[in-house]
Amino acid sequence: MSVAGVRNLPFLKGQELGLAAVVIVLSIAFSFFNPHFLTTDNFRNILVAVAVVGIMAIGQCFVIIAKEIDLSVGSVMGLSGLCGAYAMSAGLHPALGVLVALAVGAGCGLISGLIVVYGKVNSFIVTLGMLSVARGLTYVLSGGLPILIDPRVMFIGQGEVLGIPVQVLIFFGLVVLGQIVLKRSVLGQRVVAVGDNDEAARLSGIPMNSTRLAVFVFSGLAAAVAGLVYTAQVSVAEAQAGTGLELDVIAAVVIGGASLSGGRGSIIGAMLGAYLLGALRNAFILLELSPFLQQMSVGLVIVLAALFDQFRQGAFQHSVLAIRLRRLFGR
Amino acid sequence: MTGGTSPSPSTTDALSVADLGKSFGAVQALKDVTLSFRYGEVTALLGENGAGKSTLIRLCSGEHQPTTGKVAIDGQVQELANPLAATALGIAVVHQEPQLVSAMTIAENIFLARLGGNAAVAAHRPGALVREARTLLAEIGLSDAFADLSMKCAGLSAAERQLVEIARALAAKPKVLFLDEPNSSLTRRETDRLFGIVRLLREQGVAVVLVSHRLGEVYEISDRVIVMRDGSKVGEGTVGDLPKARAIRLMAGERLVEQAAKDETKAAREIDPKAVPVLRVRGVSGIAFSDVDIDIHAGEIVGMAGLVGSGRTEIVRGVLGADPLYSGSIELNGHPVRLRTLRDAVKHGISFISEERRTSVFYGHDIGFNLTSNVLGRFGRLGFFSQRRRMRFAQERADRVGVKAESVATPIRALSGGNQQKVLLARALASNPSLLILDEPTRGVDVRTKAEMYALIRNLAHVEGLAVWFISSEMDEILHLADRVVVVREGRIVDNIAKGPQAAQVVASALGEKAEDAVAFFGRQERGEAH
Repeated sequence: MSVAGVRNLPFLKGQELGLAAVVIVLSIAFSFFNPHFLTTDNFRNILVAVAVVGIMAIGQCFVIIAKEIDLSVGSVMGLSGLCGAYAMSAGLHPALGVLVALAVGAGCGLISGLIVVYGKVNSFIVTLGMLSVARGLTYVLSGGLPILIDPRVMFIGQGEVLGIPVQVLIFFGLVVLGQIVLKRSVLGQRVVAVGDNDEAARLSGIPMNSTRLAVFVFSGLAAAVAGLVYTAQVSVAEAQAGTGLELDVIAAVVIGGASLSGGRGSIIGAMLGAYLLGALRNAFILLELSPFLQQMSVGLVIVLAALFDQFRQGAFQHSVLAIRLRRLFGR
Repeated sequence: MTGGTSPSPSTTDALSVADLGKSFGAVQALKDVTLSFRYGEVTALLGENGAGKSTLIRLCSGEHQPTTGKVAIDGQVQELANPLAATALGIAVVHQEPQLVSAMTIAENIFLARLGGNAAVAAHRPGALVREARTLLAEIGLSDAFADLSMKCAGLSAAERQLVEIARALAAKPKVLFLDEPNSSLTRRETDRLFGIVRLLREQGVAVVLVSHRLGEVYEISDRVIVMRDGSKVGEGTVGDLPKARAIRLMAGERLVEQAAKDETKAAREIDPKAVPVLRVRGVSGIAFSDVDIDIHAGEIVGMAGLVGSGRTEIVRGVLGADPLYSGSIELNGHPVRLRTLRDAVKHGISFISEERRTSVFYGHDIGFNLTSNVLGRFGRLGFFSQRRRMRFAQERADRVGVKAESVATPIRALSGGNQQKVLLARALASNPSLLILDEPTRGVDVRTKAEMYALIRNLAHVEGLAVWFISSEMDEILHLADRVVVVREGRIVDNIAKGPQAAQVVASALGEKAEDAVAFFGRQERGEAH
């Protein structure tokens, strides 16, 4: 079959479907080695484990589609979770504490966004700065000590509704909301337009600044929700919560089919990407493989996903190999 | 006003500008222009590249703000702060380079402006957009242009992209419509279709402003003509008052004509057809072209004419090794070669300047850096170089092509487009090539620099014996510069003919212009008419 023919196979039409197929095939393969892998309990374990990264991936997905990047999500997650716990321990009502956490997350996103949009500084640099500032602030506020969280909000990370963990419900709810906003709202389409061709967007009178600001606020908000979920899950707010998670978040979004050159991406893809990363980690534990191998394979998956996406976009159809193959099969 | 146009009662000014001027830094792109466009009229805006037409359109459509003067719509002076404000006042622009969002569908691109106009929280309904787009396309007689309006724009051809851009402009139901070189990538049939739309709009009372280099077509459809040169209006009148020949003279000024007369004295070299050519291409096929044969001899200038999308750039890229070749052979000075990358080509003595200046210039650096980027190895050894030798070499080469700048330490950003192009030419020559390939060598270059570059290229070939191969979509340029003309259509070479009146007709038909214009042009050049 020719290269072009391979690209036209139906399961490769959408990155989401292809990714779902990969997840299913891998799950079945793993279950041969450890029957426990394909059980409801383990499925639930994986989902609980990926909820935090998955929620942040939703916000990050908007940022990446708009051709920006947010490196600060791990730190903002830590800061907003801690601020929420801090406010509650100071006697604030838990609902207000949640609002404080969300406001801190949105505020961090807004500040990054304002500097990117009006200061015209590359978002990589701005959010790298925010990564350090937010983490430092977290240590200053907590003095490095954990803060116990109000028991009334623990259900966010430990409760369940109809047998489904609450954080998984939040994750799925945000995925659905995010996908609708991206595909079916004017704002979502503005994000796509700005990221794909900012000149076309500008000439069409699309408000570039507010669109760019919005994606950073989204990402900050998502990080705050993730921070609340994580804090509730472990019952304490720790200063180092979320350290290094930004890389997992970006990886999930890229595995999900988003392009760092902007304009393309899918929230459902990002969810599947986060799930794939979680499932791989889980499988390595269940199969009792070395954790070093786990890190290696996660890295491979990220690069393979990006390569596969390039292939799907037709980046190699004029390559020497593709031409040889075509000639070999008489086309 | 040079023409005797008395405004008839049925036509009123839709848009008028008074003393409009615009400077970009030290460059004055537009100087004190006063003119108006009327309802129910098609006005042709003529001028060479760099004459200020695009700047005028940008000022009228809110893309740029004027340095001096005012823009009035329906007699009311308006502040056009951004494109959205202009759209709201009924001004639409069809850009030369369609600006599409390739990740979106055709229908979504047609209604892209709604993303700016609607509330951010409003729902986006792709299905409804497709239905609306279908209605709109039916209204403007384009219902059969696209099979599927929910297709993503990524795979559209140049002509289809242009049609999407036109539909987008018309979706806003404009009162004033600017068409900036709308047909530069259209074939004659597609152009006829576009002009059908324009006539329809004129009947509906829209003020249409048409910018095009193809004078023959422009005169077919326009009511009035405005000619610009070097940022000023130099002529205005009805099509009857201002005939084509006069418009051409106004556009070019006297300089080009003088230059042409002077050039005639530098005769082309006699090319011995039996001599071994610098480049011999036989039966080459690649992406978007097949079975191409070309010979280029030392001292010869070969011009390749063809529409955008005809495969002319692809042929050059294939021969250079920038894109893969499927079959065929290439010989350089009689030796068969296989070029796999542009680097291979440079090693074999071929230099190439691409049509996109902004992808070739290192904007953050000075002239010296830009000029010597390909040849650093010659200023030192073991991978290190002497900055002093480098800059001395750059200065010498920059002077040779006549770059106008204080020194080669001047940032390239500070130069005009024409001077940047000269730096790129000097860079291409820095490796002392035997074959020079130029894709649209004078795009976006002002008339004066253009004439200088023609003289330079002619000198390189006819005196220094360089083989030159250039691509152009400007008929004048092909006829002016080429010793031999090669015409490309649909990926094949359909004509290969020496300079002369017959070549003029061939080129005219290739570029979709009327043959009589070409013959008129050629006759003028032959006789060295200066008027």
